[in-house]
Amino acid sequence: MHERIPVLIRISDWTVRPILRFLHLKLRATPAHVTWASFVFSVAAGVAVATGRVHAGLWLMFVGQVLDGMDGGMAREFGLQSEAGRRLDDVLDRASEVVIFLGFAVAGIVTFKIVLLALIAIALMTTVTHRARFDPGLKRFALYFGIWLPYPLIFDVIFLANLAGYVLDLLIIDCQFQLEMDALGGDLDTVASRAAALQDGQPPSASTRGEALTPGTEPVPAEP
Amino acid sequence: MKIGTHFLATTLGVQAMGLAGQDRILAYTFGMAVDVDHLVKLPYYLRAVGLHDKRGYYWRSSLQEPVALLWILPLSYFLGTIVPVIFFAIHVAMDYSVRFEKMPFYPYSNYVTRGWLTGISDKVKERVLFTVLLVLNVIVYAGWLRA
Repeated sequence: MHERIPVLIRISDWTVRPILRFLHLKLRATPAHVTWASFVFSVAAGVAVATGRVHAGLWLMFVGQVLDGMDGGMAREFGLQSEAGRRLDDVLDRASEVVIFLGFAVAGIVTFKIVLLALIAIALMTTVTHRARFDPGLKRFALYFGIWLPYPLIFDVIFLANLAGYVLDLLIIDCQFQLEMDALGGDLDTVASRAAALQDGQPPSASTRGEALTPGTEPVPAEP
Repeated sequence: MKIGTHFLATTLGVQAMGLAGQDRILAYTFGMAVDVDHLVKLPYYLRAVGLHDKRGYYWRSSLQEPVALLWILPLSYFLGTIVPVIFFAIHVAMDYSVRFEKMPFYPYSNYVTRGWLTGISDKVKERVLFTVLLVLNVIVYAGWLRA
């Protein structure tokens, strides 16, 4: 979630700047290399957890997450930011969650059902979080609390928090769309189709300009 | 559809299925309480329209559109009951029989529809459905009293 807070980004970039410069300038590593290295550590974490070495898995996951935080920093430091890089980061973040969560199911620590549900909730969140700009940030990170809390409870919380975050994101996007509709004004009975046409980049058609839908009939006022 | 009609439909479902406890709460939550999104839109209505009564305002949100099944289905699986899906489907089916604009798949698609039975007046549909649901509720309740 800290990606959304510019001050935290600047602090974390400044902290790891020497490492970023070493990796990029001396070892010629690119942000994509760091993203992939982070994923390799996540796979190793998943394997460690699946074979019953949960603490080792958490340490490997920690290294993976540190690297995951550094790829963006490197891209910003050397002006290498790209849409493709952001997409790769998103895809490998989700893939990391899949392998680590499956590790917990394979080890018999939690059921496959709750792992599947948690992954579905996270995937749903991912589909809207860039538009809504809200993410509860409770994914892999929550697994560290397994030192104090039972893992089935943690997976329940991951599922419910991300599902609730998804619903909230949908409402945020709806409210953004409502502002577009309100700005459009005109006939309220056709305002949704007119705003949708504008979002699609199409000019409003005759049937959606607030005129009567068919000759001789007036738009009927609707009630919720 | 108006909240009273949704209440009758949900109550009929609850009686017919003999729901109790958590299932009854879920039935009313997904059969009626999803209308809570109208409250989310209230500040927007007040900002755009004010305190006047202006019909046709877009009160809906994805909370009561078919797209909501994306989160209701996993939630039902988690809770181990199909009740949320059934009562949400009833709510949506009733709303889609009224001809105001709806965006079933927003934000994934900007497709807009007016639903079904658009040739029949909304008032007629609402009154007929309300009467049918009321009579059915009384019949089911009477049968439950006799049993």
